[in-house]
Amino acid sequence: MSTTTETTEREQAAFARVELARHPERPRAHQVIDGVFSDWHELRGDRRFGDDRAVIAGPALLHGRTVMVIGQEKGTDPMTRAVHNFGMPHPEGYRKARRLMRQAEKFGMPVVCLIDTPAAYAGVGAEERGQAWAIADSLLCMLTLRTPTVSVVLSEGGSGGALALAVADRVLALENAVYTVAPPETCAAILYRDAGQRARAAAALRPGVDTAYGIGLVDELIPEPEPGAHAHPGVAIAAIGGAISRHLDELCATPVDELVRRRAARYRAAGG
Amino acid sequence: MDIDAGGVTARRQAPPRRVQAPGPRLRPVAPTGTVACPACGRRFVFERYKADLNVCTACGHHGRVPAVQRIAQLADSHSTEPLELHVGDRDPLHFDDGVPYVQRVARAREQTGIEEAFAIARAEIAGTPVMLACMDFAFLGGSLGSAAGEMFARACELAVGERRALVAVCTSGGARMQEGIASLAQMARCSVGVASVAEASLPYISVLGDPCFGGVTASFAVQADVILAEPGARIGFAGGRVIEQATHDRLPDGFQTAEFLLAHGMVDTVIDRRQLRATIGALLRLYSGGS
Repeated sequence: MSTTTETTEREQAAFARVELARHPERPRAHQVIDGVFSDWHELRGDRRFGDDRAVIAGPALLHGRTVMVIGQEKGTDPMTRAVHNFGMPHPEGYRKARRLMRQAEKFGMPVVCLIDTPAAYAGVGAEERGQAWAIADSLLCMLTLRTPTVSVVLSEGGSGGALALAVADRVLALENAVYTVAPPETCAAILYRDAGQRARAAAALRPGVDTAYGIGLVDELIPEPEPGAHAHPGVAIAAIGGAISRHLDELCATPVDELVRRRAARYRAAGG
Repeated sequence: MDIDAGGVTARRQAPPRRVQAPGPRLRPVAPTGTVACPACGRRFVFERYKADLNVCTACGHHGRVPAVQRIAQLADSHSTEPLELHVGDRDPLHFDDGVPYVQRVARAREQTGIEEAFAIARAEIAGTPVMLACMDFAFLGGSLGSAAGEMFARACELAVGERRALVAVCTSGGARMQEGIASLAQMARCSVGVASVAEASLPYISVLGDPCFGGVTASFAVQADVILAEPGARIGFAGGRVIEQATHDRLPDGFQTAEFLLAHGMVDTVIDRRQLRATIGALLRLYSGGS
């Protein structure tokens, strides 16, 4: 078999991973909220400009403990996907998240973030209202937040748009999820000046969450039922719930000063 | 989310366009020893252009400035002590797109004369001790990889340890794609550095030069106490061309320029480079209690 064919197969396999992570029937944030938490009350708006439906958030109960849940929501059908902007937040989404993280800190609630976004939205309005500023503020907020934090990469963690809600004490990921510096299409456009070479970019950039796990950006990979979470979403959601509970139990037993200190040390070393 | 704002890619960086940003190690454009303003085309004797801080005296266009030259422009003379931060080579993905990534880095080092996308120096600005961290766009598009992230984080820690203000000059295409997810993590690493400077109540002033995009803008570049931007600099998260292609929206006039961001409340001031040193000096005095 020629080298060219082998390369192509490797690229196809790499991109198949991305497509699996993008499977439309994988559990979305609202399904995880419904399945794992009880008494969730959605709170909306950033108190500055608007309400970004790509981020849904509010307090809920998990085994009798109130937690602030913040999720990037992609939607499940053409209509809800449009409503939630395919999970691509505007600055208002990050500002709503920050508002509620500060609120969680005030009331001593742990924060759980559910990550599911190809990237932060790239658009005129998002730029005018400071997309970069909103993400940068979210990073600083999460790094210094005086309450336990757990983030779970559900399917797609793309770019600073994902990282903004993922600098947590514990970062978990479903095993078939991807976590990337940018979507493969964008990487291909930048590296090869051709978005069509997304499979080549996927092969080169190793987007699977195992890469993020390898460099310590993800702490635990949550096993999925065969052939993937899309086939048995209930099983995957139960596994997510179990993992969140276990990590929150550990974190809530740790003094908050120690959590903040460890969090800073961890991200100080991030990426080798 | 990183972009190629006006050609901000590692691939298109080599060789640097000497007409835009004569580096300290580069010879003036032979054989005439002149450089042309990239905006109006007016020609200047190389040394004259450099003495004018790479600002065109005819049209006011602010040309790119190599990091080492930036430090010389901002620091009080004889106060500068460049820091040799040996952060090592990183190639987590063994990236090779025809030219191995490590070779691209080596070439960038040769062309710019600096180790990584940052040049760091202890210095004084108008008498106030600072840690100066300047990015160099000619180094793989100023992209943020883990070595550069480590340099910035160390600069922050040294600033805290020595009770110095932090001054950063940011110009970058964003994350360094060739390092994949490790480059994304640098946004967090650099933010830890900024948080430590803030925790120590030391002032942090950031200067945004042309261009500044992606993960650099969306982290330390805009986490400063005071954000200054150079006239005409293009600054944002996603690049204008990427947005136009993805959304088919018409971009407003002056979209993502420093002046546009000032009007939208995103930066504190747009400042001519020839006033930059004096302005930073005055701000540092104010933030150091006026003494």
